[in-house]
Amino acid sequence: MFRKLIIILAALAFTLAGCAPAATPTSAPVPTALPAVEVPTEVPTAAPTASPTSAPLTITDGLGRKVTLPAPAQKVVSMAPSNTEILFAISAGPQVVGRDEFSDYPAQAKSLPSVGGSMGQYSNEQIAALKPDLVLAGGINTPEQVKALEDLGLTVFYLGNPSTLEEMYANLETVAKLTGHESDASTLIDSLKARVKAVDDKLAGVTAKPIVFYEIDASDPNKPYTTGPGTFIDLLIARAGGQNLPGLKDPYPQVSLEQIVVANPDIILLGDAQYGTTPEAVAGRPGWATIAAVKNNRVLPFDDNLVSRPGPRLVDGLEALAKAIHPEMYK
Amino acid sequence: MLRIENLSVSYGARRVLHEVSLTVDNGEMLALIGPNGAGKSTLVRAVSGFIPAQGGSARKNGTNLLTASAGERARVVSVVPQVASLPPAFTVWETVLLGRTPYLNFLGQVSSADEDIARQSLQRVDALDLIDRRVGELSGGEQQRVLLARALAQSTPILLLDEPTSHLDLHHQVGLLELVRALAHQDGLAVLVALHDLNLAARYADRIALLVDGEVKAQGSPAEVLRPEVISEAYHLPVQVIPNPLDQSPLVLPDSH
Amino acid sequence: MIARARDASPRRFPMRHRLLPLAWTLTFLGLAILLSIAIGSVFIPPADLWRLLAAGFSGALPEPLATYALIIIGIRLPRTALVALTGAALGASGAAYQGLFRNPLADPYLIGVASGAGLGAVIAMSIQWPYSFWGLMAIPMAAFLAALLTVLIVYSLARVGRAVPTTNLILAGVAFGSFATALTSFLMLRSSGEVRRALGWLLGGASQAGWMPVLGILPYLVIGLSILLLSGHALNLLQFGDEQAHQLGLPVTRAKTIILVAASLATAAAVAFAGIIGFVGLIVPHVMRMWFGGDYRRLLPLSLIGGAAALLVADVLARVVLAPQELPLGIITALAGAPFFLWVLRRSKNQGYW
Repeated sequence: MFRKLIIILAALAFTLAGCAPAATPTSAPVPTALPAVEVPTEVPTAAPTASPTSAPLTITDGLGRKVTLPAPAQKVVSMAPSNTEILFAISAGPQVVGRDEFSDYPAQAKSLPSVGGSMGQYSNEQIAALKPDLVLAGGINTPEQVKALEDLGLTVFYLGNPSTLEEMYANLETVAKLTGHESDASTLIDSLKARVKAVDDKLAGVTAKPIVFYEIDASDPNKPYTTGPGTFIDLLIARAGGQNLPGLKDPYPQVSLEQIVVANPDIILLGDAQYGTTPEAVAGRPGWATIAAVKNNRVLPFDDNLVSRPGPRLVDGLEALAKAIHPEMYK
Repeated sequence: MLRIENLSVSYGARRVLHEVSLTVDNGEMLALIGPNGAGKSTLVRAVSGFIPAQGGSARKNGTNLLTASAGERARVVSVVPQVASLPPAFTVWETVLLGRTPYLNFLGQVSSADEDIARQSLQRVDALDLIDRRVGELSGGEQQRVLLARALAQSTPILLLDEPTSHLDLHHQVGLLELVRALAHQDGLAVLVALHDLNLAARYADRIALLVDGEVKAQGSPAEVLRPEVISEAYHLPVQVIPNPLDQSPLVLPDSH
Repeated sequence: MIARARDASPRRFPMRHRLLPLAWTLTFLGLAILLSIAIGSVFIPPADLWRLLAAGFSGALPEPLATYALIIIGIRLPRTALVALTGAALGASGAAYQGLFRNPLADPYLIGVASGAGLGAVIAMSIQWPYSFWGLMAIPMAAFLAALLTVLIVYSLARVGRAVPTTNLILAGVAFGSFATALTSFLMLRSSGEVRRALGWLLGGASQAGWMPVLGILPYLVIGLSILLLSGHALNLLQFGDEQAHQLGLPVTRAKTIILVAASLATAAAVAFAGIIGFVGLIVPHVMRMWFGGDYRRLLPLSLIGGAAALLVADVLARVVLAPQELPLGIITALAGAPFFLWVLRRSKNQGYW
């Protein structure tokens, strides 16, 4: 009996050692039960300070750590989808050598090797094997993960979650300093600011602020999840000339159908469209037919990634929100 | 000799034993009889220290068993319990060896002397052929003998048995009690047996103590205790006592109406 | 008849075979350790592995050997140590709990240790700790202390006078455990940003890397496991019930308390860094009992070693099955454990090995 077991175990060992685990990334991100949202948390130091951008640079990161690079990083591993988007947006894409499982924008990111990240588990081995000179962690990563990589001798920078657009611009500048793309970032920030101003201008004369219900998850249609104060979505809805449901206190509250019916939103945005929710399905839910948004056919699918990843696409999100909430200004 | 003095035991507010005093001499077999609920089992468990007593003492040569440590007490008193929960996977050998616990270190390391004693105990109860069997496979009678062997392996001067014959057929009842009597008379143990069968008590015990509602109502030889008026009152049942035609010991018979 | 009985009872090892089970299990453990070091989500060719061994892992190594050395020394070695120690703690505690409660369903989490630890961890996660040594220690320490506090509370609830009846312990443990779990779920829903982090911890897996967790749990494991290894005889006696054990001379309440504390200490330490990993503490003692018999003097060390080996194998699977994505350990043990347990059940149906 035991001899059999030893033989099986030895065979297993040789088989596993013999078959190389896939070094190429998997094509589709694994859908998780929880929405892949990023929460703007309160971090000790919001504004990273920097020294003059000559060869060695030292910047304090979102965990209060002083991170030093001898020169701008050339091989970066991104541990969060938002960081990946930032890197590509400031033209540092060619310098990215690895990314987390959920990084899917832009399309080029998908062909980079994955280092894990589903269920909070990253493969430190993969990260080390890529030999990066910078690991860019984000708000969804834990201090323990940062420490583990630090202990391996890697340089890790924790980019704290911004809570305003200005903080997001600051993050763009920080990443630009780390990768040597200050001018690209500068140009990008200018264009982002211009687009935001354009939205502000377009909505300047608007007086009516429609009530917007942003749906994150409605597995139980009587108690869906939405966003509240503390999230970018809440902020951007207000900026886009709308108002969120009244009385919300938590960032991701669960509201009852009655609450929604009483608030009677004019527009419903389906942030869970990526998981298959359609306007028709919403119209079919019992008790939802009386809501103004449903009656007037203003239930719209929405790309949640535009407003939940704290990167430059937040501006895309703002524009999308403005078009959805005030289509009359965009005719 | 076991000297129990003014032993009182209560379960909460309910008094089960009230100032019970008994003695059991070395080499003597005392049968403890009495109706259900009289407190026989309680007495055995109290003397073995498992139940706390509210008053009185149980001494052997001056040592109060009730206040002794578990190890000290286990060297003086061994018990054959009434309904024994036995882990079915243990073998007879392993079970009897555990009787040596009071003499082993806390790791339970067994010496060859311990093994000899265990083997002798099994021989004494005529259960040596069961030595490799698992306890869960044995019959009631066999299990009882194994428990007796374990108690013997404990090598104590005092042996308590709590209704050891209740699950046994006639053959095994007689066998066990003859064995227990031999242990008292030949090995010099002080043996106290709680029994429900009055006639078995009469036949095998040297002395009898009658326990009713937690009190000792009578103590003495079988002829002294097993008298019709005493038994009738204790058991609330009219009885007649006649001499047993085989050995003249008292034979208790329920009276016909 | 007697010959048949001998065959059916696997425990009658003659003297010279006394050490054979230990030898087998240690071999199994050795293989598992080798697997854990040689295999991971990054494939290291056996040839390079030999070269590394030859070079002694030191000196200026050329690429890719230097990276492999980093992976093996920096990641796999400490992780192997942590996982092995965790598995050892769970295996030994599981055996002790099964002996203490005389219940085949007992596992180290029976009296609520896991739920308490989870609650402590989730509470700690809702606070922003500074990025420092103690800040990073906050969550494991909170889990550890909460686990010990749970045992204390459950023990006090279950006590009747001087004795601690096992039924009471189970009832109090289940009650408090349910309460702690409910509170944990509530807290997780309230601070939805930390849900993923809490869930990751609760699902089990080495959350911290490096040697610090190993050093952190080592003193508690040494104390707890040493006591357990010496408690085999007492556990054998307890199999006969409190009354018989008492009559044979065991100070029952003291023995049960000591074993309970030692097992809980080891479990709390294991859970502090590794999260809630189920099934190991339940299944390993059963398997060891089936193969090697129910004598706790042997069962405890074998469950200790077997637990370490089993968890190492599970960890290798966790790293390899969906590479580069690593799965939480708790999921692997549950997925692999359930069918394995059913297989054991089927095999043992005809033998009353319990």
